[in-house]
Amino acid sequence: MAIRLSPCSSTSNTFSSSSFSHGSIPRNSYFPTWASLDYSRGHHGRNFELRSSNLQPLNAVSLQAGVSANPLPKEHVETQVKEESSSSSKSEKAESTLSIVVVGASGELARKKIFPSLFALFYEDRLPKNFTIFGYARSTMTDEELRNMICRGLTCRIDKRKNCNEKMDQFLQRCFYHSGQYSSEDHFSKLDKKLKEKEGGRLSNRLFYLSIPPSIFVDAVRCARRRASSEQGWTRVIVEKPFGRDSKSSVELTRGLKEYLCEDQIFRIDHYLGEELIENLLVLRFSNLVFEPLWSRNHIRNVQVIFSEDIGIEGRGKYFDNYGIIRDIMQNHLLQILALFAMETPVSLDAEDIRNEKVKVLRSMRPLQLEDVVVGQYKGCTEGITSYPAYTDDPNVTKNSLTPTFAAATFFINNARWDGVPFLMIAGKGLHSKRAEVRVQFRHVPGNLYKQKFGTDLDKATNELVLRSQPDEAVYLKINNKVPGLGLRLDCSDLNLLYKSRYPREVPDAYERLLLDAVEGERRLFIRSDELDAAWALFTPLLKELEEKKVMPELYPYGSRGPEGVHYLAAKHNVRWGDLSCDDL
Amino acid sequence: MSTLSSSHCSASYSSTFNGRRQRSTKLSSIPKRFVPVKSARNSYQNLVLLQDGAVSSTMTPIENDSTLKKLKDGLLSATSSEECEDVVGFDSNDKNSTVSITVVGASGDLAKKKIFPALFALFYEDCLPEHFTVFGYARSKMTDAELRNMVSKTLTCRIDKRENCGEKMEQFLKRCFYHSGQYDSEENFTELDKKLKEHEAGRVSNRLFYLSIPPNIFIDAVKCASLSASSANGWTRVIVEKPFGRDSESSAALTNDLKQYLAEDQIFRIDHYLGKELVENLSVLRFSNLIFEPLWSRQYIRNVQFIFSEDFGTEGRGGYFDNYGIIRDIMQNHLLQILALFAMETPVSLDAEDIRNEKVKVLRSMKPLQLEDVVIGQYKSHTKGGVTYPAYTDDKTVPKDSLTPTFAAAALFIDNARWDGVPFLMKAGKALHTKGTEIRVQFRHVPGNLYNRNFGTDLDRATNELVIRVQPNEAIYLKINNKVPGLGMRLDRSNLNLHYAARYSKEIPDAYERLLLDAIEGERRLFIRSDELNAAWALFTPLLKELEEKKIIPEYYPHGSRGPVGAHYLAAKYNVRWGDLSIEQ
Repeated sequence: MAIRLSPCSSTSNTFSSSSFSHGSIPRNSYFPTWASLDYSRGHHGRNFELRSSNLQPLNAVSLQAGVSANPLPKEHVETQVKEESSSSSKSEKAESTLSIVVVGASGELARKKIFPSLFALFYEDRLPKNFTIFGYARSTMTDEELRNMICRGLTCRIDKRKNCNEKMDQFLQRCFYHSGQYSSEDHFSKLDKKLKEKEGGRLSNRLFYLSIPPSIFVDAVRCARRRASSEQGWTRVIVEKPFGRDSKSSVELTRGLKEYLCEDQIFRIDHYLGEELIENLLVLRFSNLVFEPLWSRNHIRNVQVIFSEDIGIEGRGKYFDNYGIIRDIMQNHLLQILALFAMETPVSLDAEDIRNEKVKVLRSMRPLQLEDVVVGQYKGCTEGITSYPAYTDDPNVTKNSLTPTFAAATFFINNARWDGVPFLMIAGKGLHSKRAEVRVQFRHVPGNLYKQKFGTDLDKATNELVLRSQPDEAVYLKINNKVPGLGLRLDCSDLNLLYKSRYPREVPDAYERLLLDAVEGERRLFIRSDELDAAWALFTPLLKELEEKKVMPELYPYGSRGPEGVHYLAAKHNVRWGDLSCDDL
Repeated sequence: MSTLSSSHCSASYSSTFNGRRQRSTKLSSIPKRFVPVKSARNSYQNLVLLQDGAVSSTMTPIENDSTLKKLKDGLLSATSSEECEDVVGFDSNDKNSTVSITVVGASGDLAKKKIFPALFALFYEDCLPEHFTVFGYARSKMTDAELRNMVSKTLTCRIDKRENCGEKMEQFLKRCFYHSGQYDSEENFTELDKKLKEHEAGRVSNRLFYLSIPPNIFIDAVKCASLSASSANGWTRVIVEKPFGRDSESSAALTNDLKQYLAEDQIFRIDHYLGKELVENLSVLRFSNLIFEPLWSRQYIRNVQFIFSEDFGTEGRGGYFDNYGIIRDIMQNHLLQILALFAMETPVSLDAEDIRNEKVKVLRSMKPLQLEDVVIGQYKSHTKGGVTYPAYTDDKTVPKDSLTPTFAAAALFIDNARWDGVPFLMKAGKALHTKGTEIRVQFRHVPGNLYNRNFGTDLDRATNELVIRVQPNEAIYLKINNKVPGLGMRLDRSNLNLHYAARYSKEIPDAYERLLLDAIEGERRLFIRSDELNAAWALFTPLLKELEEKKIIPEYYPHGSRGPVGAHYLAAKYNVRWGDLSIEQ
């Protein structure tokens, strides 16, 4: 059933190169100005295909489509051709170049996620032919030192594959460092000069990844915008959370950004949206007949979005104490998942269509009330000889901190599809397991025939669909079936799909996907300003109240299952937490 | 895992229901000659447990306070007791009742291979009443010891590797006896009766006759058993194997004759396919899971396929087979029964009569088969790698010019509100490339599939499919579309699956065990009622007549092939593809 495009066969080569050089596929145009064209619709950065039996990305050429396939200024062809090696991605990429500037290159995120992801993309031939990576930070460093640093951090998913070293060398040669202040236009001008040098007169596209504290976001954006934006190509800026602390600060930040950037240049990253699970959620819903009829209040009793970590804050205390788990996880990651889960069918898979639907969901929800929320904080705990620290033992956390490290909340979506269905969320640190999953609990079978034989228990053994992202990605559906044997005993078992056993290849890191999307201008997984506003509107009143009333979090031991309050919260809506029952895979 | 268990051998308290919960209104019309009234009432108890217990019927149903109390105790314990381990259940009242199982045709193949092993397995698992006797009855002269020898040689059943097997076997064989006699001699049956009485030793005697003999002597044997060897104070039941006639008339005649000597509720028409684990599970899946029922109609299901294939030919059994053909042998009974279970409306309860009522309704909503909706085939010889596989007509017991089909495919329609227009395809064949029995439910395509725009039209073929594999390697799986992990968007059809072997380590009992046990316990759910049989024949008889009158020549297919091509054209006529022949399989 697959559409096979073998990368090795000559036919596919000729197909791809000819079609692109003719410009017969008007993929993407480049944007000559900062305030670019309306870029929102009809952009298919990726080609879609059905699975081929070969797990390799057969259509690498078309997958990378997008951005770099610009119309080719003729004079560049000759010079480029010499450099071309005979690979499948050829001349169509030659005329343009991509510069990725990691602002805050010495930070942890850059080291652990951004550079490794860039390398992985390079290794898999997902980056355009010509690209340059610049690290930008305040510390003084040579290119060599940066490369060393990157090299050490590259313990990425592919480091055991073949040619890794060779590829790594090639990659490092494209990495450079520029030292400068985040608020100095001068320093950015110098960066611009260096970038131009590397771009060598080609059409330049520039991607800035701001991996810096939020307080200097706007300064950096201003400098980049004024001094280092691309003259003929596009310029995009990736921004990491936190996007403010509440509605007001978020709006201010957005306003600050928009002074220098237009909406479609801002890529607010929520790395959770890059998880495989999230991508698959939409596929499951919209490409299977069997799920959509069930996707409403008629059949779904409740939905649970669960995120738990088995570690504490461990050194991140300073940042975390200022935000707390609700801002750190719930308001962004979990709420985004919920919106994707609950949205109506979009008109198409285009970014704007999907984001429109997500905003509608968020706006149909009422702001969280204090009584819909349970907050907790982990305390120290001694198990055997090991003692685990309390949250307030962290040196960067004030001793009397009330910042929640755990929160559970109930949402309701007041629309026709979801009226009355509780959406429960849990987010917590210092819990007993590391887990991220979405659980859909279905209603009981009305008039269950088997109930007469078993008493009332059967109404608890309802169907449940679980989409699990950690640990071990899986999709499974709990069904009741008969235990084989002579009697009639019912049993809850799973119809399951364990990714590990079906797809032996590693799943790419979320950052890889998101970086690639940003390069290709695919905005589906990034958060639009109005989405952000709507999300904050749901949480801001609650956050204010928590802080004003100094609500004490319920303390729970490190490594436990969290505060008991969550059960009472769930019980209020006649729900049981699915993850706390012991019958899991 | 939460296990909802109901014991099924713990039937002790069921006797307390005597006369309390009768559901049949026909009982009054039962000829009293053969069945004592009390046992007739008794046989309709059906209860708390699925497999209630006619076994334990005491014939002195004195109802007083203590029995009520016992009932309560029984109910409480029923929810937790382990399958078949509740031997105690028989103690209380089995002291004075006994079951005698007479296998008529004890020297035959079926008796040796299936009936005796199944009886032993039931005994091993403590599912038989405490006091029971097994009698072999056949024409050949044999001593008890010879019978035991024969029985013990073939007891290579599923449990022969368990502990204590030898010891248990000894105990079992001691209960086995042989009586030689003619099938139509009342005198010989009177002698049998005498022997039975000896073993019953004055207890309340229940008698089960298993007729494992050719259909032409059914009636004689039933007459003799009824007149000379039926139980005086307990129940008497007769298990009959297919064929139940060749067409509507002969089947009606057979039923008519049987009913001269037996009441409807004494006749247990066995269809061993209904005893298969996954056929049993079909109802559980449908009625104890919320997620399937909403999908179970023409709105979501495009077609349903019932597929039976064997990878060997008639191999000497041609004599019997040639007279019947695959349609009578497999389709009219096994496949049609599964279809009826699949398609029936929700019954009022799980009681046998309620389920069979619903099945009859399905059968009566169907149009008799038309010639143009049927494809028949016959295998021809085929040489592969030096080995020559014989044609059907090479079988020495088959006439050279036989037109008997060894393969048939048919399209049936159910003209009711739920199924109007949904093709139910059946396919049964011998000497094919695989063996197996499965049910495939193909769902409709996703209307307005969002992903279609990116994939062309193919996605409408990649519809969801629910597969219930009855044998071998019992499994249930649901084909869903999901995203292949990785960058880019590729869809893949993978399975949400439940492999029985992986999930349930215990062996699955043979269908005969379940059915024998049900017959002993008076559970009629899995046996075919006369009106069901009539309705089933009514669907096939016109077609069978036409095939024979017009001497339709079957399409020949090579031994070991995928069957005649005509099956594809039949499916194509209804815009369906056979699920089992697609490349993915």
